[in-house]
Amino acid sequence: MKNIPLLIGAILFSTLFYRQGIGLNLSLFSLLTICILFIYNKTAFTKKSTILFSTVFLITAGAVFIYKSNLSIIANVATFITLIGHVTEQKSSVYINWINGLYSSIAGYFHRNFNDIEKDKKVVLKRKIDYLHLIKIIGIPLVTLVIFISLYKNGNPLFSDLISKIDFSFINMQWLLVTTLGYYLLNNISKPVRVDPATTHDLNTLNSLEKRGEIEIEQLKKENQLGFILIALLNVLILLFLITDITYLVSTTDLRASVFSNQVHNGINTLIASIIIAIIIILYFFRGNLNFYKNNKNLKTVAYIWIILNIILVINIAIKDYQYIYYFGFTYKRIGVLVYLLLTIIGLFTTTIKVKQIKNFWYLFRVNTLTAFTILIITSTINWDNYITYYNLNHAKSMDFDYLINLSDNNTFLLKDYIDKNNLNVEKELAVERKHKEYLLELENNKWQEIQYDNFKIK
Amino acid sequence: MNVPSVILKSTLLSASIFWIIVMSEDFNLDMIPFIFFSFIPISLCCLITILFTITPFFWLKKMNMSNNEVYKKWFPYYAIICFSLCFYGVIKSNFNIYPISFLASAFFTTMQSWIWFAKANNAQ
Repeated sequence: MKNIPLLIGAILFSTLFYRQGIGLNLSLFSLLTICILFIYNKTAFTKKSTILFSTVFLITAGAVFIYKSNLSIIANVATFITLIGHVTEQKSSVYINWINGLYSSIAGYFHRNFNDIEKDKKVVLKRKIDYLHLIKIIGIPLVTLVIFISLYKNGNPLFSDLISKIDFSFINMQWLLVTTLGYYLLNNISKPVRVDPATTHDLNTLNSLEKRGEIEIEQLKKENQLGFILIALLNVLILLFLITDITYLVSTTDLRASVFSNQVHNGINTLIASIIIAIIIILYFFRGNLNFYKNNKNLKTVAYIWIILNIILVINIAIKDYQYIYYFGFTYKRIGVLVYLLLTIIGLFTTTIKVKQIKNFWYLFRVNTLTAFTILIITSTINWDNYITYYNLNHAKSMDFDYLINLSDNNTFLLKDYIDKNNLNVEKELAVERKHKEYLLELENNKWQEIQYDNFKIK
Repeated sequence: MNVPSVILKSTLLSASIFWIIVMSEDFNLDMIPFIFFSFIPISLCCLITILFTITPFFWLKKMNMSNNEVYKKWFPYYAIICFSLCFYGVIKSNFNIYPISFLASAFFTTMQSWIWFAKANNAQ
């Protein structure tokens, strides 16, 4: 009886996904997932955080239905894994939710199977004998029968004719396999499992750093001096880099796309290296008892200055990226740079909190993974292709029209509208018309499982 | 640890999964000899995979660690990595039936093999 929801779910799974593209089916599957999780884990759904994650999951499901972009599909899968992990353990960090969620989704059945063996060996032993017997009475006669049929088939044409008339085509084996896969997946997630000792370690680890043993003043003094000199010198270096870079930025009049591209991408490479080294050095010096050393004010000050200078470096690259976008329009890479810069600013901000409030490495990891996850969800709810196209057509000083045509179908109606109202060369108009026609055809051919929001626009 | 027994069971399981998926696409009685011949490469694949990726966890464990603890500590990460590689392979193959059959059988067989090894130890 308790498996009935899973069986219904498995049939729904194959109905939704068997030989279908992505569309309404993924959104409906998200609903089905929440139903299955709720049926088998009612206590988890009494927590507000579980309801929040479920809501976020439904929002990403809605984004898949409305935009069907790769980003929204990735966000939906990421939220699915996070929700499963959160149902396993509500108090754990988001990265532990990912591990638990992924593990539950792919191997929950095997984990539970092993635990059942642990709990009740006698029952399992009985089952094992039953399975073995079942395999024997079905498998051996079946295999023998098939071997003999193939032998007799070659020896007697009448028998061969008779055998060839047997038609099992009404049994759709692939549909059955997809249903089995659906059952396996839903069975895995129905009772999510946790990965230990990772989950226990996470639950037992607080965010604050504590004193380790006795404070050895002499050793801390030396470490403090080393840290101060190192970070101070790095401050001088980054300051010099910033001055030269800003001077170049102000004085340059070269507006070629390749120049902007080089500047932004070289800047990003510098930034990646700089930020990673900055955080590693800060984590190294502020890993233990130096946090509690009375005379560490100077070291903290240079660390703050270094973080501020890195933030200025981020702003500097953001300005370059903004100029690049202003003159040549949006592209995914340019948006990616902005997202990376936003993540960097948050990373530097949390590092400052780590130093100021004496937090540990796990604090940084927890907050930053949660931030990255939040940004992924927010960005997945934006129709980027449409937005890029709108901005580039209406506001950019110059743009690459072919780039817009090669974007996903989310900008098709906007492009069609644009060529209807403006005079473009024939080649571009033909390309847009072709894209529009192909998209309309695709929408018309969508089965109910593949329906998306744009299907309602054409009716 | 009864490695030969696990390899034998893995070969049977792997061959079953592989041929069930292949036959779901196209079944022909003439394929039967190939099914029997396929046991040789499948058993070799099982032997290599199990010997090089699963048994080291149990052979190199600490003296005071039971197989049950080895299973609980390492199996989740093994499952995640194995799934990631198989899924990547399926995508790279452009969802072709033969790679899907091979990788699906590899995934499920390795998962079940871990349980066989851990169970064998518990019974000892």
